[in-house]
Amino acid sequence: MFKKILIANRGEIACRVMKTAKKMGIKTVAVYSEADKDAMHVAMADEAVCIGPAPSKESYLCADKIIAACKQTGAQAVHPGYGFLSENEAFSRTLEEQGIVFIGPKHYSVAAMGDKIASKKLALEAKVNIIPGYNDAIDTPEQAVEIAKGIGYPVMIKASAGGGGKGLRVAFNDQEAHEGFASCKTEALNAFGDDRVFIEKYVEEPRHIEIQLIGDSHGNVLYLHERECSIQRRHQKVIEEAPSPFLDPATRKAMGEQAVALAKAVKYQSAGTVEFVVGGKDKQFYFLEMNTRLQVEHPVTECITGLDLVELMIRVAAGEKLPLKQNEVKLNGWAMECRINAEDPFRNFLPSTGRLVKFQPPAEVDEGPNHKVRVDTGVYEGGEISMFYDSMIAKLIVHGATRDQAIARMRDALNGFVIRGVSANISFQAALMQNPRFISGNFNTGLIAEEYPKGFNAADVPHDDPAMLITVAAAMHRQYLARNATISGQMPGHEFRPGADFVVRLDDGGDHEVAVTPAAGGWDVSFAGETYAIRSDWQFGQAIYDGTINGQPFCMQVERRGLKYRLFHWGTQMDLMVLTARAAHLQALMPKKAPPDTSKFLLSPMPGLLTQIAVTPGQEVKAGEVLAKIEAMKMENVLKAERDCTVEKLLATPGESLAVDQAIIAFK
Amino acid sequence: MHEIIEQLDQKRELARLGGGQKRIDAQHKKGKLTARERIELLLDEGTFEEWDMFKEHRCTDFGMGDTKIPSDGVVTGYGTVNGRMVFVFSQDFTVFGGALSEAHAEKICKIMDKAMQVGAPVIGLNDSGGARIQEGVAALGGYAEVFQRNVMASGVIPQISMIMGPCAGGAVYSPAMTDFIFMVKDTSYMFVTGPEVVKTVTHEEVTAEELGGAVTHTSKSGVADLAFENDVDALLMLRRFINYLPLNNKEKAPIRPTPDPADRLDLSLDTLVPDNPNKPYDIKELIVKTVDDCDFFEIQPDHAKNIVIGFARMEGQTVGIVANQPMVMAGCLDIKSSIKAGRFVRFCDAFNIPIVTFVDVPGFMPGTAQEYGGIIKHGAKLLYAYAECTVPKITVITRKAYGGAYDVMASKHLRGDVNFAWPTAEIAVMGPKGAVEIIFREEKNDPVKVAEREAEYKAKFANPFVAGARGFIDDVIQPHETRKRICRSLVMLRNKKIENPWRKHGNIPL
Repeated sequence: MFKKILIANRGEIACRVMKTAKKMGIKTVAVYSEADKDAMHVAMADEAVCIGPAPSKESYLCADKIIAACKQTGAQAVHPGYGFLSENEAFSRTLEEQGIVFIGPKHYSVAAMGDKIASKKLALEAKVNIIPGYNDAIDTPEQAVEIAKGIGYPVMIKASAGGGGKGLRVAFNDQEAHEGFASCKTEALNAFGDDRVFIEKYVEEPRHIEIQLIGDSHGNVLYLHERECSIQRRHQKVIEEAPSPFLDPATRKAMGEQAVALAKAVKYQSAGTVEFVVGGKDKQFYFLEMNTRLQVEHPVTECITGLDLVELMIRVAAGEKLPLKQNEVKLNGWAMECRINAEDPFRNFLPSTGRLVKFQPPAEVDEGPNHKVRVDTGVYEGGEISMFYDSMIAKLIVHGATRDQAIARMRDALNGFVIRGVSANISFQAALMQNPRFISGNFNTGLIAEEYPKGFNAADVPHDDPAMLITVAAAMHRQYLARNATISGQMPGHEFRPGADFVVRLDDGGDHEVAVTPAAGGWDVSFAGETYAIRSDWQFGQAIYDGTINGQPFCMQVERRGLKYRLFHWGTQMDLMVLTARAAHLQALMPKKAPPDTSKFLLSPMPGLLTQIAVTPGQEVKAGEVLAKIEAMKMENVLKAERDCTVEKLLATPGESLAVDQAIIAFK
Repeated sequence: MHEIIEQLDQKRELARLGGGQKRIDAQHKKGKLTARERIELLLDEGTFEEWDMFKEHRCTDFGMGDTKIPSDGVVTGYGTVNGRMVFVFSQDFTVFGGALSEAHAEKICKIMDKAMQVGAPVIGLNDSGGARIQEGVAALGGYAEVFQRNVMASGVIPQISMIMGPCAGGAVYSPAMTDFIFMVKDTSYMFVTGPEVVKTVTHEEVTAEELGGAVTHTSKSGVADLAFENDVDALLMLRRFINYLPLNNKEKAPIRPTPDPADRLDLSLDTLVPDNPNKPYDIKELIVKTVDDCDFFEIQPDHAKNIVIGFARMEGQTVGIVANQPMVMAGCLDIKSSIKAGRFVRFCDAFNIPIVTFVDVPGFMPGTAQEYGGIIKHGAKLLYAYAECTVPKITVITRKAYGGAYDVMASKHLRGDVNFAWPTAEIAVMGPKGAVEIIFREEKNDPVKVAEREAEYKAKFANPFVAGARGFIDDVIQPHETRKRICRSLVMLRNKKIENPWRKHGNIPL
């Protein structure tokens, strides 16, 4: 076994790999860019080597710097994680030449699967189901139309070198095929420097289901069952689960065996994943591609199989045989993973950067095989989310006996996930966890686009049980009052005594009468004829309010903002005021104020760096013209005029870091 | 006998109606509460003891003899806020537009006199059209009586003004002399001369809101300390504010027990100060994570944002917080921020509230605007205030403490009781770049040498240990233990006693 390995990655996956390495008694070496010098993976490693400036292409993507780091530290092997150099054939080949082990597949396997057209040919030879289509390069639009007709509409036109949905077109008729081919070709050339495209059958109600594989250098390959990854937003996975609610044992076996056949065809020896698209109507499955690396969502497979995939990868890379046979691969319970991204779900998922003022993930739980809460992360409270890397800051994984139990556990865990300072998609994940289609298991890759056609709004997450929010706010308020009664300097004999009766006023104007009385360990709140026994050891200023209501455990996030209590629970965010009856009466007399008119300003939609202002005061601008550019999360965001207008004043200067909603330009 | 009692009830009922139901409805329509409704919200339920309900004006000119309304446009008395005694006057806009008459002023003076005798705060809820013109000089005299009492009470009992309607002309000078001015957005304004006079004299077109609304005074002029959304918001938040204040200058700062442990550590503070000395960070995160229950009551949040002031508690006891804000103008001191913090420091000192100062200051703001504006005298206000102060003073230097600004910000030399520095502190006459340019002027065209010299200077002076070696810093502390160290220091200082020499009064550079 290796004595020391280098992890050529950052963030949660670097930390994840190190955990296993530590468990196995292997020393670890981290590499880091200048932006990551205080990152968690650097602190976790036994040694760390700086490999250059913040941009990935000057650091994490520099194979030579990583190889130099191996030599400098004496690392015998490299785990690439995912992304970066994980599927770079040249990198793994060079490592091999230098006598350093690549903890991953051999370079020839990577090469064979790296090209979409080549991999399909291989799959065909290995008798893997292939989407009906045309796998050779196509030259002219006319040829494309002929091929499309032969396959039968609808068809999909896709860039050979592409990924993540870039350059993808769906055509339902000849004209669309003609146009789609041309534009796909151009886009492919621009994006990948390779204008080859292919055409295939478009699968309706498609589900994205993938098979996890593990192979060793002795010719053994096992399938570790499937993962359902159909919950995607713009082709980015959002939630993954294992097993799939859609597969039956026969289909699972068939898919697994085909995946193994393909892997064997390329002498695959490591962890890998074969992606299939499965028709939601007919359960037909077709090979999409093979990912020759460890995947983001591998923990759900680890939950249901009880295996440590990173450990297996390290062992097979060291030449060991797989310790189990196909019939020993378990499938226990149900596991689910939510990707926690630094993005603002209420602002069209714009990336969010900055300081993690608070980062308190829910407590990890490991109580037997079907009872787990696991948090994989590479960030910490007080850390910085930089604009240079991926916005995924954590993965929240749960394991339950059944799918329903896993969902319930995930909902609870999301309630307890505190992130402040940067925005996160917790409320969106919570909304999905209570979406009826998601709960039913009857969905496809279009779920998010169909359920939230106009983007995601706070109104999309109504609360199942508002009484919980009302009674907790009342109890909190009463606790504050009780403390006020302890202040020094009161008039003797005339001390403050909090009352019991209150009106809880919701932001939408709804009023609810409650009575709060102290009880051992909490408060009894009567509301609408029922008593809610709220027991909690919450203290002032704490973000998490947890305990029990009538014996049922609960957990919510709370914030006191002026007179209002802001409660977060099950994805709902609600502002409540707790007032005496008299104050509520008087408060009702207060004017409802319209929010300030911001239409005369260009506001920054996200925190980021203002890189350019493209207009000058007095300039007339037409709708659609570029006004300014903001860089956030390594992406350039172009802000355009929404209507014709005249620039009055510039309120920010290029180079300035902007806060959300900061005014950049004032219009006349 | 029964009849007399009934008569009293009727008289009270009539007085409570003030200017009548129609005017009450009009007041509500404007989004404003009546004088008595406001008192109800401010005080603990049922604790208001009203005085002079039956007081009337004595004016007979201009037909005033026929229109007398009991209480005469102001409701006065005392009650409790969370069990603690306060005196209150609340002007009644439904009665003669809340205009101040001689009798009206006498009512205010009566409670102010009593508040001084018993040592309790005076809270004014202002909603008045101005002097009662019909009374002429009698009304003006009334104002002056109030002014004189404001001055006598200053530094003896806390005085708070809540502007909840118009407050114009001479009337502004009573609130101006109180300790804090709060305003209600959209329904209150304060100015010496109104928009019409402004237009005649200076030809400026301006609305009342722009000229003297809550937003103007809490962001532009700094006259007001906080702006609230509406009457209810204002009064309930005022209750919270009063919790921080002692009732008079002989009492210690109040204590409200907290479950927040004094030795709570916060590891995230270790990464608060960025590596790059020019990169800003939010000093409010440090404040919030240091004080009890993460509860910080900020004053003047929208004015002179380069300095942050407000109240919080440490181990239950009120403290005043002053902190440079690196997020705004790098946290430098300028005219506005010096005035803002200077006045706050003096309030804390007058009322025995310990002061915790967080320092990250690159110096005073340079430029003609500042010099012509008198930064020398205005900056001196903050210096004077800190130097004069006898309450416990704890200082924590997080990063920069450069030049004269280092001295000003509650340094050891100004009788700082406990002066801490974080390891990231740089206590020096100026930053490395500027220093090298001066000391090694002849090398300034050689970038290699300049870089070398800067590194040399940085290693030598840009750290807390030079100051530590001289005892100007009592200890260099880990950021994560800031709360614990401040709490202990404050407890150590609870019985601190020092006195300034006897004098009639000092001569602060006004």
